[in-house]
Amino acid sequence: MRYPLEGIRVVDLTVVWSGPGATAFLGDLGAEVIRIEGNNRVSRQTSAKATKEAAAATAYHGATFPDRDPGARPYDRSALFNWHSRNKLAACMNLDTPEGHEAAVALLAMSDVFVENNSNGVLEKLGLSHEYLLELNPRLIVARMPPLGMTGPMSSYLGYGPNFNSLVGIAAMDGYEGETPDTAGENYHMDEAAPAGLAFAVLAALLDRERTGKGGLIEFAQAENVMQEVGEFFLDLQFNQRNPPLLGNSDPHLLQEAFPAAEDDRWVAISVRSDRDWAALTEAAGSPAWSALGASAAARRAQSGPLRTHIADWTRTLPAAEIVRRLQAAGVPAGEVMTETRLLDDEHLAARDWFKERSHPSVGTYRYPGNPWRADGFEVAFGRVLPGFGEDNEYVYKTLLGYSDARYDDLVERGLVTTVQFA
Amino acid sequence: MTVQDNTGQANPGQVDPGQVNLGQVDTGGPQVLSGIRVLDLSRWVSGEFATKLFADFGADVIKVEKPGEGSYTRHWGPFPGDKPDPEVSALYLHLNTNKRSIALDLRGEADRDLLLRLAETADAVVESFRPGQLERLGLGPAELRARNPRLVVTRISPFGQDGPYRDYEATGIVLQAMGGPMHATGEAGRSPQRKPGLLEHYTIGRTAGEATLAGVFFARRAGTGAVIDISGQEVLLAGADRRASYLLSAAYSGMNAPRGVRSAHRGAATFTGPFRASDGYVMVYITNQEFWNRLIRLIGEGNQAFLDKFLNRIHLGDDWDEFITYLRAWFAARPKIELMTRCEAARIPLTAYLGMDELAANEHFRGRDCFVAADHPVAGRLEYIGPPWRMRGGYRLRHPAPLLDQHGAQIRAEFEPATTRSSSS
Repeated sequence: MRYPLEGIRVVDLTVVWSGPGATAFLGDLGAEVIRIEGNNRVSRQTSAKATKEAAAATAYHGATFPDRDPGARPYDRSALFNWHSRNKLAACMNLDTPEGHEAAVALLAMSDVFVENNSNGVLEKLGLSHEYLLELNPRLIVARMPPLGMTGPMSSYLGYGPNFNSLVGIAAMDGYEGETPDTAGENYHMDEAAPAGLAFAVLAALLDRERTGKGGLIEFAQAENVMQEVGEFFLDLQFNQRNPPLLGNSDPHLLQEAFPAAEDDRWVAISVRSDRDWAALTEAAGSPAWSALGASAAARRAQSGPLRTHIADWTRTLPAAEIVRRLQAAGVPAGEVMTETRLLDDEHLAARDWFKERSHPSVGTYRYPGNPWRADGFEVAFGRVLPGFGEDNEYVYKTLLGYSDARYDDLVERGLVTTVQFA
Repeated sequence: MTVQDNTGQANPGQVDPGQVNLGQVDTGGPQVLSGIRVLDLSRWVSGEFATKLFADFGADVIKVEKPGEGSYTRHWGPFPGDKPDPEVSALYLHLNTNKRSIALDLRGEADRDLLLRLAETADAVVESFRPGQLERLGLGPAELRARNPRLVVTRISPFGQDGPYRDYEATGIVLQAMGGPMHATGEAGRSPQRKPGLLEHYTIGRTAGEATLAGVFFARRAGTGAVIDISGQEVLLAGADRRASYLLSAAYSGMNAPRGVRSAHRGAATFTGPFRASDGYVMVYITNQEFWNRLIRLIGEGNQAFLDKFLNRIHLGDDWDEFITYLRAWFAARPKIELMTRCEAARIPLTAYLGMDELAANEHFRGRDCFVAADHPVAGRLEYIGPPWRMRGGYRLRHPAPLLDQHGAQIRAEFEPATTRSSSS
């Protein structure tokens, strides 16, 4: 046995960020994750009609394609999909057709886990409600990820990750120190919080199934999952009848900031935790006159603004790498605010072999973000980096579902099973 | 302490999985992780959140704390009246629900032996010392797994157990800088901004919890444990908060994610971001033509010239300023909850910024039993954030966070060398 989830089959009907991130974690653990995707709808955050000209006209979206070129198969080439697609299989299944529905039901009947993050009601419209599926396959674990849950007065609310961050109090805490919370930049934290939580829940359900023989429903309300992360502020409200302040980069326990380096738009995050850190930082800065101003925790709190100005005046004179080198050598927490291209060249990540170079015929050869963690004792998977659209049609229909060549060919001939996406 | 039940008996109160009452936190019977034991040697948010997931879903989590001092989270606060007291730190109370506490001096031989005996009966150990510290204590993975080959040892550190930055010092902001999408966060031309609170530590902890449970699952199937290396930086680099996709875009085309530019959506008159209401803020996500038209109809009601000008627009040019000025004024004249309610009725993605007080009073979350009350001997009766998700045998608040060494005598009695091992494991 090599992987924790060896032999576990996951059917993946997820879109955008949090859901696909969750199934990527299950694939890392060795589960066979099969994405079912229609050829008549967008499932990979890019249209089949994307063109090189259109990509050139948009700064951000265009650059999510290799060399800014959507190519002939844009749906195989977007970073917005391919960041999470490692280890996954893909089969073309149009769930709104009788043929697609029949195939999905057959696949779900022989699978262990089903993960979906569509709006409430979508599964029901497709005739794939969890009630029906659990009757069909009582050992199935159905994980549904509605942002606000399946019940309650706001459960049908529309929104994206930042919308729900704002409902659980995170957006109100986010922004520049002493300013207002509309100064915060993008915060997609709810999407980041979901994948590991969902994978934990599925693992727990699989353990439980070994005891009880039964699968069941996981109702994974994403806003409630991320709400865990404001737990201390929820208690503070009860202790002190207050809402969390808007701190920006500052922190009441630490003297810290993102300080400018000598180079244009390069920044170093530095924290002073203790008198020892302060002494080490000021020594690294050449024992300037302001060293005495922050020698105690009380002084660093009271003089936080002026002290940070002094530190910034020093950091502006040095390259980012030199600031980090000096401070880390002195035991002071410091790290450059890393751009993506800097990380691709980072010596530490290279030494740990974190990025994985992989090839795919639709894309070419590039380096991909690695697994979130590693283990000695079992393997964490990083196999085929993406499934081209419909790449595993034959495996799913013929090998798994046992369709005859004639039946499969008929679906292909009628355009119901394809290796191209039209939407 | 609820006695763990690992007999495999069905819970008599068990309901058909298709009929789970989603509004209810379950109140009895075995939980999904009943029978699993985890030793929590961590002293900070990531490790404590990883083991909280185990404890809240039924595992016996034994928190090993430094005598007389306890976890760092006991000293972080916030505290009632801002008076430091290690028994009522909000951070500790939140992160250590359902755990048992024992104070052990890991530098002393007797307590180290006790820890090794505990490890013999445990499924997992979670630690977040500096790399190498566990080995210096004589409690490295080799020693632990010699006692229990099925043990999972999860090691959380800022940059992992090897590599040139292994011994780098880090705080939350340093981790966000080196791992998270911080360079892309904030306003153009200003400094990058970290995410608020302790979110990065929670992300790392949740992932460490998932990795640990994966290891336990493997050990149950394969009979052998594992050592898991959690680099906080790598967890954040793999993040679905766009960081992993930004990294791949950089690999594909050389692009660094820009700061101060919200998602530039393709072609259509789309925009996202925060706006001021009369009493706070709202978050708006107009990501397609349908949402755009609904918004134009809502804010242009009774203003035919506005409707004629902006309905069905694909691109805005010089008239963007006219549009956004109108929109800002329309939002600024109305309270945030009214805006949210009206937009939802018109099926437009817009939500209000809620504070903790408004979250606590929110009828949706309260109606779903998101907050769970318990009595703590020092802190008194408090409501805690409840289930992160719902499942059969799922989250339950059996008891609040322990006092320092609250269960020391009980655990020592269970594991005294002379006595028979507890039947609860």
